[in-house]
Amino acid sequence: MVDAELPRPCDGNHTPSDQHRRKLIIILMAGKIRVWIIAASVVGLATLAAVSWLSFRNTEELIAANQRLAQAHKLIEDLTDLHLLLDDAESSCRGYALSGKIDYLKPYEAALAQLDVTAQVLRHDLAADSYRLSQFQELEPLVQARLGVMKDLVQARQTGGFDAAVQTLQSDRGKRLTDEIRQKISAMQTEERNDLLDRERESRERARTTILAVGLTCLLGIALLLAASIVIYRLNRRSEKDHVALQNAERIQRTILNSAAYSMISTDAVGLIQLVNAAAEKWLQYTGAELLGKNIMILHDARELHSRGEQLTRAMGMLVTGDYQALVTKARYGVADEFECTYVRKDGTRFPVLLAVTALGGRDNDLAGYLMIAADLSERHAVRKMKDEFVSVVSHELRTPLTSIKGALGLLAGGATGVLPPKAGEMANIAHSNAERLSRLVEDILDLQRIESGRITMDKRLCDVADLIKESAESVRLLAEQEGVTIVSSSCQAPVKADRERMVQAFVNLLGNAVKFSPRGGRIEFGAECRAGSVLFRVKDEGRGIPPEKLETIFERFVQVDASDAREKGGTGLGLAICRSIVEQHGGRVWAESEGGRGSTFYVQLPLAEPSMATELNA
Amino acid sequence: MPKTVLVIDDDRDIREVAKASLELVGGFMVIVAGSGTHGVAVAQEAKPDAIILDLMMPDMDGRQTLSQLRLLPETKSIPVIMLTAKVQANKQELVSEGAAGLLVKPFDPMQLPNQVCVILGWSVSREDVGRNGSAKG
Repeated sequence: MVDAELPRPCDGNHTPSDQHRRKLIIILMAGKIRVWIIAASVVGLATLAAVSWLSFRNTEELIAANQRLAQAHKLIEDLTDLHLLLDDAESSCRGYALSGKIDYLKPYEAALAQLDVTAQVLRHDLAADSYRLSQFQELEPLVQARLGVMKDLVQARQTGGFDAAVQTLQSDRGKRLTDEIRQKISAMQTEERNDLLDRERESRERARTTILAVGLTCLLGIALLLAASIVIYRLNRRSEKDHVALQNAERIQRTILNSAAYSMISTDAVGLIQLVNAAAEKWLQYTGAELLGKNIMILHDARELHSRGEQLTRAMGMLVTGDYQALVTKARYGVADEFECTYVRKDGTRFPVLLAVTALGGRDNDLAGYLMIAADLSERHAVRKMKDEFVSVVSHELRTPLTSIKGALGLLAGGATGVLPPKAGEMANIAHSNAERLSRLVEDILDLQRIESGRITMDKRLCDVADLIKESAESVRLLAEQEGVTIVSSSCQAPVKADRERMVQAFVNLLGNAVKFSPRGGRIEFGAECRAGSVLFRVKDEGRGIPPEKLETIFERFVQVDASDAREKGGTGLGLAICRSIVEQHGGRVWAESEGGRGSTFYVQLPLAEPSMATELNA
Repeated sequence: MPKTVLVIDDDRDIREVAKASLELVGGFMVIVAGSGTHGVAVAQEAKPDAIILDLMMPDMDGRQTLSQLRLLPETKSIPVIMLTAKVQANKQELVSEGAAGLLVKPFDPMQLPNQVCVILGWSVSREDVGRNGSAKG
């Protein structure tokens, strides 16, 4: 009736394989997107790292280049200063040599001191640059020589007077040195300026590269951000779609749940109510909120569950307590379970239901709970009652006139009223035998209806299996003799709790059939085999057998192996149905086995009486 | 002298069939009554050898009639066989209420006298259960 799966949110009419395929696609797509996101992130991060490293290096080199530029500028300036100081010192010496005034030597002396400082600064600044330092070291002796010439001039003026000074001046050594120094300084400055230009170009180049790299990185960043935004947007869209689909599925599920003409209740594994549909609320007069979290037991008849627990304990050979276990045990063991029971409304009134219980599997196939779907049987029961009453009334009304008809015909056909003309006698016989058949049919209908409606309670007492066999065989002995059939009975001795008269009726029905369908001279085996907890009765004939497709249906009302049997064999088509009803009322089972054309065997299995009761029988 | 049997049944046809069967097949003398009240009165007056009493009757039913018969001094020793539809009543209960036995409707008119004799322990031979035979006390 119900699939073992929870009515989980489903999407429209998708079949399980569709859903599976869709799920697979989603997983694959999600996987693909994840790979893309990771790849993009890695590329982005690597690019950023590379660009950052490049920018760092460029910036570092820019700073270094700037320092070098500043150094070059300073070197040019310092060389210019050196040159100017030398010029100043020379002018000052010449002024003194020509004038003889001591004041003229002041700039010379200041330049000497300054030259010293400048030379020291230059040495210091060029200490790290061996090439330039060596150039400066080539310049320094020239400067010293030039200063020596100046010093000679001053000394000549001081010691030799004006003429000595003029003589010193006229030597061109000073001029030669001055030219050499100028050339050297000029060469150094030119070289430095060229270097400066190169470095400036290089710096510009680096600055451009950095700008380009940063620009590209920005563009890449923007692109990545854009891509990420698109992905996020799409994921959001999909998630929204999924959410909407889920909501729709839930809505559909809820609609199905609430429009069903069945009460649907789900519980957790220990019987606490988790879900209730509209029909359940309406029928049971509770609101969903009142039922959620409550034990399912509040909806059931405790005594009914107790007796079901006992019944299941016997049938399943394990202890089933008379609480909610009595409802769910079969389902828990994977047995489809559908049974009639009583629901109790909030106000205490009751109604019959047909309850189907299904175990719900959880995420890891563990037990999540149970689903209980119930159909209201009130109407069906009312109809059944009406039918039973109708059948009963009709049958009773038929029976009274039938008794008279059968009696009167019996007297006529039996010759009690005098000898009839042959043709009239024949007609009376036909009428009588059909009245008898009709009478049997009415009796059987009444019988079956009374047993099935429970109007006949089985008067179960302890009986011995052997006695049941003996009494049943005795009841059909005469019929068997008439038909030339032998009944061979065997038995074991064991106690059963049974309505003796009814069980004999059931066996007589089986034996009567066996006699009717046995060939003249045939043999019927009627025996019982005592087993652990039960006894198996067996009626085996050598008749024509039962086709496999009829083995089950022959126990239904008005079903016979051959449509002509009712007419030819005088059966009503109700004997086996009555037999089954009686056996089932005893907690037993009846079935038939047959190998086509080689007779049939009917089995009746009854539970043995409990040992405590058996001693009662023996006593 | 043939035995006298009183048949009490509200259904006239059944009464007549039973009467015919008991007279023609069993050779008894049969008197009939259509109700419990009438049956008790007839029994008091005619003092039959046995009474066949239908269980289901309007007004005074078979059980009430039986208890009346058991109370009255004229009828208390007359054996009463209850006539009933199958499993309508518990045989043990009826016997404990004073019935001698149970006959099940619908009965076979050719077998009815024999069944009566068996229940009441009257001797009956195959020849007796014939058209002209009679049960012997």
